[in-house]
Amino acid sequence: MALVEIRRLTKQFRKGDEVITPLQEVNLDIEAGDFVSLMGASGSGKSTLLNAVAGIDRPTSGEIVINGSDITKLSRGSLADWRAANIGYIFQMHNLIPVLTAYENVELPLLLLPMSAMERQKRVEIALDAVNLRDRANHYPRQLSGGQEQRVGIARAIVANPTIIVGDEPTGDLDADTTEQILELVQRLNSELGMTLLLVTHDPKVAALAPRQLRLEKGKLIEKGREVALVGGDFQERSD
Amino acid sequence: MFKFAPYVLKSLWRHRSRTMLTVSGSAVALFVFCFVGSVQRGLSRLTEDQEALRTLIVFQENRFCPTSSKLPEDYVRTAAKLPGVKDVVPIKVFTNNCRASLDVVVFNGMPPEQLRSSRNLKLLSGSWGEFDSRTDAAVVGAAVAQRRQLKVGQRFTIGEVTVSIVGIFRSSVPAEDNYIYTHLDFLQRARGQSSVGTVTQLEVHLHDSADPDQVAAAIDAQFRNGPIATSTRSKGVFQRDTLSDLAELIGFAHWLGYACVGLVLALVATTTVMAVQDRIKEHAVLQTLGLRPGRIFRLVLAESVLQSTAGGLLGIGAGLGLLAWGGFAVGAEGVTISFNPSLDLAVSGALVSAIVGVLAGILPGWQAARTEIVTALRYG
Ligand SMILES: Nc1ncnc2c1ncn2[C@@H]1O[C@H](COP(=O)(O)OP(=O)(O)OP(=O)(O)O)[C@@H](O)[C@H]1O
Ligand SMILES: [Mg+2]
Repeated sequence: MALVEIRRLTKQFRKGDEVITPLQEVNLDIEAGDFVSLMGASGSGKSTLLNAVAGIDRPTSGEIVINGSDITKLSRGSLADWRAANIGYIFQMHNLIPVLTAYENVELPLLLLPMSAMERQKRVEIALDAVNLRDRANHYPRQLSGGQEQRVGIARAIVANPTIIVGDEPTGDLDADTTEQILELVQRLNSELGMTLLLVTHDPKVAALAPRQLRLEKGKLIEKGREVALVGGDFQERSD
Repeated sequence: MFKFAPYVLKSLWRHRSRTMLTVSGSAVALFVFCFVGSVQRGLSRLTEDQEALRTLIVFQENRFCPTSSKLPEDYVRTAAKLPGVKDVVPIKVFTNNCRASLDVVVFNGMPPEQLRSSRNLKLLSGSWGEFDSRTDAAVVGAAVAQRRQLKVGQRFTIGEVTVSIVGIFRSSVPAEDNYIYTHLDFLQRARGQSSVGTVTQLEVHLHDSADPDQVAAAIDAQFRNGPIATSTRSKGVFQRDTLSDLAELIGFAHWLGYACVGLVLALVATTTVMAVQDRIKEHAVLQTLGLRPGRIFRLVLAESVLQSTAGGLLGIGAGLGLLAWGGFAVGAEGVTISFNPSLDLAVSGALVSAIVGVLAGILPGWQAARTEIVTALRYG
């Protein structure tokens, strides 16, 4: 069983008579330790898919089974708890809380988990070390550069050791040099720390870093030139 | 919940000018609320006090201001013989102002030994010995002393009455702190026209078993055919009747207190709505990190409760401080209502501001909690 199993995932938006279907019965497996990039034209539904996996948006139909539980069936509250324990989200615009220091921002997800203050401190320090910003712990977001802010955002995403880390164009807002730094960091998360990554990007160079590269086209997921298809049995069993 | 306290406090601090304005608005409103409340309590203490309901006041019939009531002093002996009566105290009242006023000075002349037996006064300075030995001696209530800056050893003149202050007292009945007690015969003589042999009113203390209404009726029946007819009421009713105009005004001020509460509610709610609208995206981010909608709701509620109670406590503190320090009172026709600080008032004020904080936070908190994460992240 894969870490993430997406089955017949469909998302439709209705505007009056018009129906937009960015995701049309999409299937996808992501194994633990995978690094997956997701490309596609603007408006193709990349963010929609990513947000569904992250549990912040609800699909119209289909299943998303992560670590054995189907998150489409969770209530709003339980889904929030689930996100706290399982998702690390790297935003395009870092989205740090402006009134909190780098340290406090990184600590935030841990406040939701059962954990001693000492354990929290240890984890925050490890996360800040990983993004090489231990010396900026007490700085506020406005006192950091764009690249540093994004690194704090990454530290916040990894600090709780989530099941999967998702990023929606995490370098979309950065200059070339900083992008380079961030990508290096992201790659290390996968190669050294074994974290499972799903990254949406416009940039083919960024996508190329990922061992698995997917494209969204007309509501379908394409991998290596073909629609991602699953060995029938698995899916049949589930839908019964 | 307290893990998020730094976030809540820092969010308030980030918009400190807005926070301070809200806090001061709530402080001013609760200050007024406290003041109005203290006046109200002063009034109900006068009219609902158990002791006041079991003490009768005999006044000349159809007279209102103390200057116009003149009862023969020998009514004391007649009244004392009636069944149920324990003791009768003749009182001469002299006041500088019969109309409603914030600075009334009321002299009560009583026989010294009866003053001590019928009133529970504690001298803060001065001595009773001095009071007994000097005919022009006066003991001054703490509130008047405060208001008029009076001290033991001074002489004090109102109209044609000049007294020597030999003591400052505090009474167990707050309204008494607005009185000045002198010897009865001194006050009878001291006034321009001699009123020796007459008193303003009789204060009748009853035996525990006596029925106040019956005794009151018996007293009035007794004097109906005498030289001067009387009207006898319980002290509570007497005070309420005397202050009826003021009481109406105070009842109206009551609404002022409620208006203040409404004002804080609107103010704090506005600030909190603004704070939420500023942070739609931030709340979406917090939800993405795994905060439950209920938690977001409580965080918003905490912000509004903090502002409203911080302001409330400041206002209550200032209000009670001023009340304690100022010795304020309003009076008419020789009866005064004192404005006193009380724990009860502080607690109800604090409770009101906390409840207002909760109410003010409900709508914005609900708004924040139902933020659609994806939409808010996109456009926030
Ligand atoms: N709330 C919504 N209501 C209606 N249509 C929506 C809504 N959200 C997304 N869409 C539509 O769904 C489609 C997919 O949007 P999505 O944001 O997933 O695209 P994307 O691939 O991430 O694009 P981009 O690369 O520009 O970020 C778009 O056509 C978009 O207009
Ligand atoms: Mg997108």
